[in-house]
Amino acid sequence: MKKLTPDQIKRIQEKRTNEIRKYKSSLMVCAGTGCVSADSLTLKELLEKELRKNSLQDKYLVVPTGCNGFCAQGPILVIQPEGIFYQKVSPELIPEIIENLENETYVEKLLFQDKESNTLIPKMENIKFFSKQRLIALRNKGIIDPENIDDSIARGAYLSLVKIMDMKPEDIIDEVKNSGLRGRGGGGFPTGKKWEVSYNAAKEKKEIPYIICNADEGDPGAFMDRSIIEADPHTVIEGMIIGAKAIGTAAGYVYIRKEYPLALKRLQIAIEQAKEYGLLGENILNSGFNFEIYVHRGAGAFVCGESTALIASIGGKAGEPTASYIYPAETGFKGKPTIVNNVETWANIPVIFEKGANWFASIGSGDKSFSVHKRSTGTKVFSLVGDIENTGLVEVPMGITLREIIYDIGGGIPNGRDFKAIQTGGPSGGCLPKSLLDLAVDFDTLTEAGSMMGSGGMIVMDDKTCMVDVAKYFINFLKDESCGKCTPCREGLITLSDILTKITAGKGEEKYLDLMKELAETMEIASLCALGQTAANPVLSTIKYFREEYESHIKDKKCPAGICKELISYSINENCTGCTICAKKCPVEAISGESKEKHIIDKNKCIKCNVCYEVCKFDAIIIE
Amino acid sequence: MIEIKIDGKKIEIEKGSTILEAAKKLDITIPAICSREVVEAYGACRLCVVDVKEGDQTGMVTSCNYPIRNEIEVFTQSDRVKKTRKMLLEMMLSRWPNVNLIKKFAEEYGITKPRMINPFVDYSENACILCGLCVNACEEIVWEKIIGFAGRGENRRVVMPFEKHYDACIGCSTCANICPTGAIYMTDIPNHPVDEKRIDKYGMKITEQMALLDDQQCDMRGIGTAHLTQIMNDYDLLPTTNYRFGSHKEADKLHSDVFKKKYITQGLPDGCWLGCTMSCAKSADDFELKTGPYKGHKVIIDGPEYETVAGCGANLGIFNPEFVLEANFYCDTYGIDTISYATGLAFAMECFENGILDKERTGGLELTFGNEDAAFEILHQMGRGQGFGIIVGQGIRKMKKIYAKKFNLSHEQIQFMQDIGMECKGLEYSEYVTKESLAMQGGYGLALKGAQHDEAWLIFMDMVNNQIPTFEDKAEALHYFPMFRTWFGLMGLCKLPWNDVEPADNAETDEPAKVPGHVEGYVNFFSAMTGKEIDKHELIRQSERVYNFQRVFNFRLGYGNRESDRIPYRSAGPVTVEEYESRAERYDKQLIEKWNYNIAGKTSKEKRDHLRKMREKDYQHLCDVVYKRRGWDNNGVPTIEKMKELGMALPSVVEVLKRV
Repeated sequence: MKKLTPDQIKRIQEKRTNEIRKYKSSLMVCAGTGCVSADSLTLKELLEKELRKNSLQDKYLVVPTGCNGFCAQGPILVIQPEGIFYQKVSPELIPEIIENLENETYVEKLLFQDKESNTLIPKMENIKFFSKQRLIALRNKGIIDPENIDDSIARGAYLSLVKIMDMKPEDIIDEVKNSGLRGRGGGGFPTGKKWEVSYNAAKEKKEIPYIICNADEGDPGAFMDRSIIEADPHTVIEGMIIGAKAIGTAAGYVYIRKEYPLALKRLQIAIEQAKEYGLLGENILNSGFNFEIYVHRGAGAFVCGESTALIASIGGKAGEPTASYIYPAETGFKGKPTIVNNVETWANIPVIFEKGANWFASIGSGDKSFSVHKRSTGTKVFSLVGDIENTGLVEVPMGITLREIIYDIGGGIPNGRDFKAIQTGGPSGGCLPKSLLDLAVDFDTLTEAGSMMGSGGMIVMDDKTCMVDVAKYFINFLKDESCGKCTPCREGLITLSDILTKITAGKGEEKYLDLMKELAETMEIASLCALGQTAANPVLSTIKYFREEYESHIKDKKCPAGICKELISYSINENCTGCTICAKKCPVEAISGESKEKHIIDKNKCIKCNVCYEVCKFDAIIIE
Repeated sequence: MIEIKIDGKKIEIEKGSTILEAAKKLDITIPAICSREVVEAYGACRLCVVDVKEGDQTGMVTSCNYPIRNEIEVFTQSDRVKKTRKMLLEMMLSRWPNVNLIKKFAEEYGITKPRMINPFVDYSENACILCGLCVNACEEIVWEKIIGFAGRGENRRVVMPFEKHYDACIGCSTCANICPTGAIYMTDIPNHPVDEKRIDKYGMKITEQMALLDDQQCDMRGIGTAHLTQIMNDYDLLPTTNYRFGSHKEADKLHSDVFKKKYITQGLPDGCWLGCTMSCAKSADDFELKTGPYKGHKVIIDGPEYETVAGCGANLGIFNPEFVLEANFYCDTYGIDTISYATGLAFAMECFENGILDKERTGGLELTFGNEDAAFEILHQMGRGQGFGIIVGQGIRKMKKIYAKKFNLSHEQIQFMQDIGMECKGLEYSEYVTKESLAMQGGYGLALKGAQHDEAWLIFMDMVNNQIPTFEDKAEALHYFPMFRTWFGLMGLCKLPWNDVEPADNAETDEPAKVPGHVEGYVNFFSAMTGKEIDKHELIRQSERVYNFQRVFNFRLGYGNRESDRIPYRSAGPVTVEEYESRAERYDKQLIEKWNYNIAGKTSKEKRDHLRKMREKDYQHLCDVVYKRRGWDNNGVPTIEKMKELGMALPSVVEVLKRV
């Protein structure tokens, strides 16, 4: 095993940078989970084959990268350093791509088209999806091969580690504190403070603490942590080594869910490579400091993202939370002080030491006269999904408005529909309405509005969304994921689910709204862990912002968005041309009518599957 | 200590105590379902919520598991608390409307009918309310994981692994007894007692004591009998180098903490008796053997028990826990008793150091105290049936004969072997130094099976606490305890739960050494099991019948008279001048105070000889009074009258006794 010295790391950086510079361009093939599903790995192989065929392999370098972020457009190919962005690349266009490269021109049909201006935009930096983002945690996404440590080092990986090697633990912790970095996993607890608690507890009790990286991302529609590990595993590892050095531990764990095979593979490769270079293991950088990272795979329970449940799970017990009146930072894994930080939090650490705490604290929102911990500094990674044009992974400075995320970066709502709500903070976050689109996205503002930052899921909903149905969806998700240990979370969710099911079936009663609020209140203050404490948020926020929708369901027995099957009926209006397509597609033969004459739906037979609505080209199907 | 306020009342309480504990001291009742003193607070039912004010911050916490660390003010009856409890009870009632415990609490909070309908409603009166008491009791008290939770959320339920019947459940009934709703009950009571409830009552008392008191008392659940090593060393009772001395400066190397920290790391019972709440048998895991046929193998080793640590460690002059563990492993593997191996080898080692043995006689082995290699070699030779190991393996009584015959020893040498050969009736001594406790010398010498402490362990009563000062007191103890302990044998019970965990108030009873609380339990246990009401006297009578019958049996085989109750002098006093001088102050004092012996101008040898005379006389006198108390003749044989009185004058018995 090599034991690198700081100088040797710098030499690797130079060497690899020079190697890359020898090529005219690098062809960055996105190999994030989304693009891999769209067969980008075949694309990469074919690109290499074609280059060899044309003897261009020394001129162009093909690099499989982590998630580029613009997942909706995959497979994605980016040409660097030119910054040319090709989307939805299909293998048969490879010769054309290479030809254009040689001619320094573009393959137009692969370029991004801006819908507003209706123009083709060849360069990534000019596409709004990218230009409004600010990359810290994802600074290396799409520009390095995550399976090649030299690529990471060329981009500065492990140089922050070199920097902190001679620092005193207290100074390392202070730097993190001064950056204002708050936990990216959802709670928003100041990271530096958490480290300080562990450091002091370990010192006082004369115990060796532990650190854990929480990669148990379980929110529906969220893939921030997965993408960070897939794109740049070394930033997470480096962050953990810095944390380990700060609090003086020799062992760290990454708790990663089993459903993330690609992230797991890249993490394991990265750990092996780091060990190979002596950046993990014994006597790191010849400093006498030892640190090992162990990977622990979770079996995919949402509640295991909660730190006490996660610690129980690593310890081989059922993943159930325990009381955290004494924080894990004091008494955690094996009863020792334990820092649990989320993937994104760890990924931010090296940058803080590269560019300084003040630099980091200068990014973000909040009254600058406040201490950094009362603000939200730095950036946040979100996975932007739902009824949105540009589905994907985005990193934005704290304090950006929802409107900017949805319209500038996200490209707005597709199919000419209107924005209705955005759900932030994962399943136990809240739904925010149109009137709050100018809300600043940071820890405190979102919480104040009845939602939360959470780990960074953002689900956009258009006007065809029933908010009662949405609340029911999230409550049912949480009901299934609640461990069931404590009364309020278990029984509260069962009851809320039952009530919401009744409301969406037209069996709601007016007293239900107050009862739900009372249930929610008890769940919030009496539940054992954060899952239960926040589980009623979907109900509370939808009642708060969309109360009239509940009332229509309850009083008028109507679903205004036309989603709740038991409250809607289908009929055909005068627009019908008698094209017969609906009758042909109806799976239960509920539609009848002569060709070129108005058709009729038999409401007794209709199963409200919505097929007729989807196939009708004349807006003749009415849902009421 | 820290001062807090609960509902306006002040109380000083130890830091780290829970609010529930503090409230109890103030007689403030907080409703709780899932919390019991005997198990760790679980925090699941949430009914015990209270408001806590610290500085200017107020928050709601569960009082069962909130550790008091700062000066806080607690409100157990705030509007918010009441409202929350009410809602929690409403939730519970909607799911389990007929469970009495919930109904009772709900009524207290004014709820008769919940406002919501719970799709998972269970109308049973004995529904499981998921409080977790059974699961936690099984794990924490019984140290088993026979039951656990399966399923999440609405599917949460208590099951055995894979929802199948699990054979490892021995029906200890702890879960059924702790269940607050009757959801768990016994379908088939093992051994079909006449009165199951009465047995449960006393059984659960022991269970409770074990859960609450063991870690403050003997730590049997933590390390088992090995906790004794350091105590014995402190009281000069830990045999070192063949019982010459009772303590050693290196004894700390065999301290139970050493085993606990480095070797017995699983913290689990080895399952000597499944379901036992004491679970004192431990195992060392992942131990790599350095010698013998399994050299290089990683193994799990049973124990070590105190006897093994003291015998294979201190008594051989070997203060190495790894030697103890490996010797323990090979004794178990070869089927050799660790006590007999250790005490026998200690004898051989002292013989070696005194010239009775030499390298030629041992087949080249340097049998000095502390020589681990030689000690291992003897053990492996015993196992293989080769070399000098064959001789050591036959035990001390045979060794003495063989040495005397084979090595042409002098009279002095033969006498010396009699003095230091720690056996009685052919059985090697277990590992206590008995020199300063006459009663314990009797405990060993008068035990039917030979030199074993399991009939009577009286050292602390006699020597430390001075509870049995007169000969008559000692004789009474040497009657009562062997009879009482024999009863465990009769019933097939383990002795350890009798006095290795004691009721919290045991010290305040009139006869703490007997542990009256537990004797009462055993009497009730017998009566409830069989339906035959007995009292504590009958319990002793039951043993007496068997005990006396055994003594007659021994007598028939030549082991049941005064001669066979003789003990080696090493167990009664200092054999050598060196031994005398090592504790000279103690012996001098005794010679002066107890025997009125003028020690002025006397040599150590003279003093030693006088002490010996006195102590040997004492032992014989002790035999006299004990025989009398037991109803035996002056030669230590049960009289026909005694056997008649016991209803044991069987024709075969009378025939043997007539030969006296």
